[in-house]
This record gives sequence, structure tokens and C-alpha cells, in this order.
Amino acid sequence: MKNFYPQQYKADEVFKINHNYLSEQFTDCDEILEKIKSIVKDNDFTLGSTVDEVEKLIAKEADTKNAIAVGSGTDALMLSLKALGVDKGDEVITTSYTFYATIGAIVTAGATPVFCDCREDYNIDYSKIIEKITPRTKVIMPVHWAGRACNMEKINEVATEHNLKVIEDACHALQGEYKNKRCGGLSDIGCFSFHPLKNLNVWGDGGIITTNSDILSEKLRLLRNHGLRNRDICEEFAYNSRLDTIQAVVAKHVLENKLENITKKRIENAHYYDLILKDILEIKTLERSKDIKEVFHLYLLQAKRRDMLAKHLQSNGVDAKVHYPVPMHLQPAARKYRYSKGDFPVSENLAENTISLPVHEFITNEQIEYTCNLIRDFYSKS
Amino acid sequence: MMKVPFIDLKREAKSIGGELISKTKEVLDSGNYISGNNVNKFEIEFAKYCGVSDAITVANGSDALRLIIQSLDIGPGDEVICPANSFIASAWTIIAAGATPVFCDVEEDFLLSVETISKCITKKTKAIMVVHLTGKLCEMSSLQRYCNHRNILIIEDSAQAIGATNKQGEKSGSFGIASGFSLHPLKNLAVYGDGGVITTNSQEVTRKIKLLRNHGLINRDECIVWGFNSRLDELQAAYGLLKLNYIEGWTEKYISIANRYSSELTDRITKPKTEEGCRDVFHNYVITVSPKKRNAIMHEMLSKGVETKIHYPIPLHLQKCAASLGYKKGDLPNTERLAESMISLPIYPSLSENEIDHVISSLNNIIKTSH
Ligand SMILES: Cc1ncc(COP(=O)(O)O)c(C=O)c1O
Ligand SMILES: Cc1ncc(COP(=O)(O)O)c(C=O)c1O
Repeated sequence: MKNFYPQQYKADEVFKINHNYLSEQFTDCDEILEKIKSIVKDNDFTLGSTVDEVEKLIAKEADTKNAIAVGSGTDALMLSLKALGVDKGDEVITTSYTFYATIGAIVTAGATPVFCDCREDYNIDYSKIIEKITPRTKVIMPVHWAGRACNMEKINEVATEHNLKVIEDACHALQGEYKNKRCGGLSDIGCFSFHPLKNLNVWGDGGIITTNSDILSEKLRLLRNHGLRNRDICEEFAYNSRLDTIQAVVAKHVLENKLENITKKRIENAHYYDLILKDILEIKTLERSKDIKEVFHLYLLQAKRRDMLAKHLQSNGVDAKVHYPVPMHLQPAARKYRYSKGDFPVSENLAENTISLPVHEFITNEQIEYTCNLIRDFYSKS
Repeated sequence: MMKVPFIDLKREAKSIGGELISKTKEVLDSGNYISGNNVNKFEIEFAKYCGVSDAITVANGSDALRLIIQSLDIGPGDEVICPANSFIASAWTIIAAGATPVFCDVEEDFLLSVETISKCITKKTKAIMVVHLTGKLCEMSSLQRYCNHRNILIIEDSAQAIGATNKQGEKSGSFGIASGFSLHPLKNLAVYGDGGVITTNSQEVTRKIKLLRNHGLINRDECIVWGFNSRLDELQAAYGLLKLNYIEGWTEKYISIANRYSSELTDRITKPKTEEGCRDVFHNYVITVSPKKRNAIMHEMLSKGVETKIHYPIPLHLQKCAASLGYKKGDLPNTERLAESMISLPIYPSLSENEIDHVISSLNNIIKTSH
């Protein structure tokens, strides 16, 4: 079998307006390389002191007491479930509108994913969670999709009432806020990804977990490093999932020098799209809420004749994408849970109509105008 | 006083520093951080080096073994035999898959054998986890004969054994249904962070692992099995590819240091023996001494500036994490005795002749004067 993922992430030369901005983002790599050289001097390649520093910085960002760096966002979710004691036979309620990793993490932890439909804003429908609760339910795992916080008040309410834990999949939502509180600090545990295409990215895979609980933090530190208390004593059999020190150097650099601007620019871009697109009838942008600071990992809209529009944009140099066309309950991997089409109408409808436009920090106002004009043209001609 | 650290990674990085930096820049310029050309090339070269059809890179050596077990559908109710003198990851991978590790004893060379595993075989035995500890191959032909006969799979833990060969010149990673390697910074072939590789001749294993390591995706939009994220970073693959050019030379260096130790260290300690025609790659050079004197000797070595270690002081069956498996002291007498007797001496390619002299004379003096 061939590796298919080189294509998955490849910077596509055809497009003028790309989703992928990685060749632009690290033009200052010499500065980072100098710092990496000093790591080599200290023999400090795994769990080094820079990892500690990144943990402190992220804890500050998420406004939590602790942060624990791990190998990826997926591992962050899986280890969090394990830290909460999730195991075979347990159920985890999550949204059908998410990335595969959310579900993969639940299954890897040994549990069964129980899907719940989402709302028009792509986030789990908190009013339907309660129907999904069984005696086996252990955790609710909401996803702050595209960088827009879920209604955590409602979700936490259900959780408290039924004695469940909550893990936020905040992989899209670093610096996002719900009622002036940061994502990742809105529940028992928050999980972030440092994947190259995330708002805070490193030069490979990486992730981090945030929590206010010292007990969970301690447990997670064991779980990510073979269960080792020290070099020779193993408390419990556990995983190897660590953020490389050299990736921590990159994360620290982005945190200290770029993240504020990345977030700010994404928000500005999104608002500019909102402004221009609001009078195109065939397009539906999301209503923005005062309670939520969205950080726009993705800029999503619902569009009539979505696939045709996507083609139109792509053939004119705009890398419009679909995140994602098939909801989780309808994936081949979910067959054994016996869901069928029609089970989650909102998710399914969104999956058919949603398109995402490039919104990263290197997108200019001119590019946004160009893209919006293409959309206007598309609908006025047809 | 001369100081000989147990390991010093900066020396190697210094010797190839220029190349490392230019590789890094190449990757950054490509804008491709996950699984690009370097990963593909490294997998091809690694497979070639081990003499197998496929190599699949993953996030680390522990995941390599975990993915192997998962891809073989080993799970609850199955038993996998594993030596207790190993790094915990060897046994953890069995537990992570929901199966039960059955700890076997080892021979004087720290390795399991037909003799030691045959006491552990039950109807539930699905596989044995063969650990080529310190870079010395287990006696594979007799193990293969024994296991083939009984339909038991062989999984190799080659984390410490890149480049080790038997008399026929066959390399570690080419014997079992699949083999896991670690690229951890302390390994003979190391990257600058975590990394791992799986080698196999089974297309089925390759197919399953390539799915599992990347969210079970067959394309961007379709997930056919829930998987996870366990990939070698493109950057680390570039370093690995670069270092494959050096591994033969470095391995020869490990061996020549081991040869000096073996010929010049006093015969009053027990030294590792390499069988004629085999190539042991000496990830560690482990001697054994009387348990009563072991700690004192290590202490004296340190006072002479020589750092030594123990791989591993507490066997897996006596670790706290294994408590629920129901083993007790005395269950694996050889393993337990070795754990109390062994000392690992510094061994790495950048060790200088002077440093080697110092290790040898220090140890010989300590043994002569105090015992
Ligand atoms: C919602 C969501 N959860 C989890 C992940 C997994 O993160 P990672 O790719 O770092 O494993 C991602 C990103 O890929 C994601 O989009
Ligand atoms: C024998 C053995 N197996 C497995 C591993 C695990 O490899 P890693 O540290 O890359 O997860 C190691 C090394 O740490 C090892 O020495």
C-alpha cells in the first residue's frame, strides 16, 4: 500500500490563495535553529527544559493550573480519557461533526463513541446530550469546531447532573473564549494540537493537555512517559507520547512572537469575509455571538450548490476546501455502531453544504475581496 | 581527573552538524512537515538496510511494537511471552493491546531461548516478543523452528539491535512476522527526538499499520478503521536518512570498542561473548560481577570519573506496574540474579581511545585492589 498522506498536506503550487501557508510562516527559521543548537549541546531531546517552558506558557494561555505536552492532539485526547479511567465497556458522548482523531482517540482508549448531532454552529447539540446518557457513559467530549467555543455552561450542567467528566477537544481553539474564559480551561481537561496546519503549529506532530487538577496532571505525566516515576521505577504500564524538545523550541517561538498576531489576523479576516458575504443570498455565514471569541481555525460557510462552487473557486486559484464531507457516524469505520443516514440531520446537512475559505494570517484583504467576487460571480451567472 | 560520561550526544551532533542544519533548512523550505519525501525515502532505505520488503515509520519504538501487536489481531485472552529483563515498553505493548504478557527467564547472555520460553507456552500463547537486548540477536533459527511448528508468531523487539546479524548475515528485523525499532536519541541509529520503525515482509501488516498510524484514513475524507496518530516527523526522517549513511561506520566503532573491552578488561569479571561469525552491535556493553560488590564497583568507577548504568535494575515482573500479573521474587531466578550483577560501561562511537583506556584501567584497578 502506498503512503497517501504526502499528498494530504502538500503545499499545492496551483493555488494562488492557499490553505497551506507553511512555506511563508517560518521565514525566520534561523532564529529558531540557533535555539535548537543549544538543545543539542545539553543532550536534551526528550522532555527537556523547553518542554517545561511551553507547558507554562500554554497553561497561561488556557488559564489553567497545569499543562502537559504530548506527542499529538490525538494522543492528548486519548491520554486524557485514560487519565479519567475510561476503559473497555465505557461510553463517550461526542459530536458526529468532527475530525477522525476525536473518535480514534475514544476507540483507542477502549471505549465506545456515542454520537450526538450538532447545531447550526457545528458544535455538539447540548440539548440532545441527555438522551444519549446510559449507565455506561463516562465522559462528554465536545469539540470547539473551527475555533468556536461550545456552550460550555449547558454542557457542564448536564455533566454535573449526571456525574460525568468533560474533555474539550480544543484542537482548533487555542485562545478561543466562552464568556471571557479560555477554551481548554472550561471543563475537566482541554486538548490542543500543534499539527503544522493548526493555529499554533510546530515542525511536525505535537499536542498538549490543560487541566486545573493536580491529580490528573500528575497522572498524565506518568501516562505519557511509560508510567515511569523515575528511570527505574514503573508505576503503571503506559504510553510513550512526548513533545520533542526541538518541537517545543518551535512552539515557544510561535507562542512568544506570533500567536497574538495569528489570532488577531484570523479574526480580522473572518470579519471581513462576514461583511462582504452577508448580502449573498445563496450563502449562509454563521451568526456571531457576543459570548464567544472565535479564533477561526477554519472559516466556514454554508453554500448552495457547494461542490460546484468549490470547483469554481479552485479553478480560479482559491484553495476552497471541505472540512469534512462525510460525518463520523457515516464513515466506514463506524459501521459496527449501526447508525444510518438521517440519524443526525443537522450534521449531515452541514456536511453537504459547508465550504471553508482560506483565513490564515497571510491572507490579505485583496485576496478576500477576490475570493468573494468569485463567489458573487458564481451565483449571479448561474 | 578524566571524566567519561555514559553517553554524550553532542559529540555526534558536532561531527555532522553542518549536514543536520542544511537538512533542516531543506525540510523547512519544502513546507512539508508530515510525511513527505524524506519519510518515503527513509522507509525505503531502512527496509533495504534490514533486508526486508517494507519499513513503516511511526512516532516511537513503543508505538512500533504496539502497532505490530494490534495489526496481528492479538488481544484479550491471548498470551505473549516476553523476557522480564527489558525496557518496560516491550511488555506494555502487550498490555496496551489487551493481551497478557507472560514473562520468561533468560540465559546467561540476557536473551530468551527455546529452553526458557518452552516453560511458558500454554494453549493461549499467540506470540513471543523476542528482545535482542544490548544489540545481540537471540538464537533465531532454533526459535523459528520451535515457533513455526506450533503456529506461534515471532515479534522482534529490535530497539537496541539495528544492524546486528547472525552467521548467515541476516539482520535484526528480518526474522519475525514484524519487528519494532526505536530511533530514540540514545539508540545506535537515533534521531533528535522520538521516532520508531517497523520492518516486515507481510503486506497485510504493512497495510494495517499504515492505516492505523494515520487515523485509519484511506484518503482525506474516508476513515475505514478508527486509528490514531503515530507518525515520524518529516524532519526526524531527514535526520534518520542522513544517519543511515553513517550507521555502518558507527556500528564498527561500537564493535571495536567492545573488542578492546573484551580483550583488555580483567578476566575476573564476566564479559559478553560474541559467537563466531555473528555481529553483535553493542548498544550496551554489559559485564557481570558479584552482586555483593556491584554497587561498590559502580560507585568507585564514578569516583574515578567513569559513569556506568544498570540495564535494568528491576526486572519487569517485579515492577509495581506488574503487580496485578501475580509474579513474585524467585519466579525468574536467572533474570533476577543478572539484574543484581550487571553493569553497563560507556560505549558510543565518539568515545576516544584515551577514554577507553581510562575505563579499562579504572575497572581493572578497582577489581585488582579491592577483591
Ligand atoms: C478536532 C480535532 N481533534 C483532534 C485533532 C488531532 O490532532 P493531531 O493531528 O495533532 O493528532 C485534530 C487535528 O488534526 C482536530 O481537528
Ligand atoms: C528493548 C526496547 N524496547 C522498546 C523500546 C522503546 O522505544 P522508544 O523509547 O522509542 O519508545 C526501547 C527503548 O527505549 C527498548 O530499549
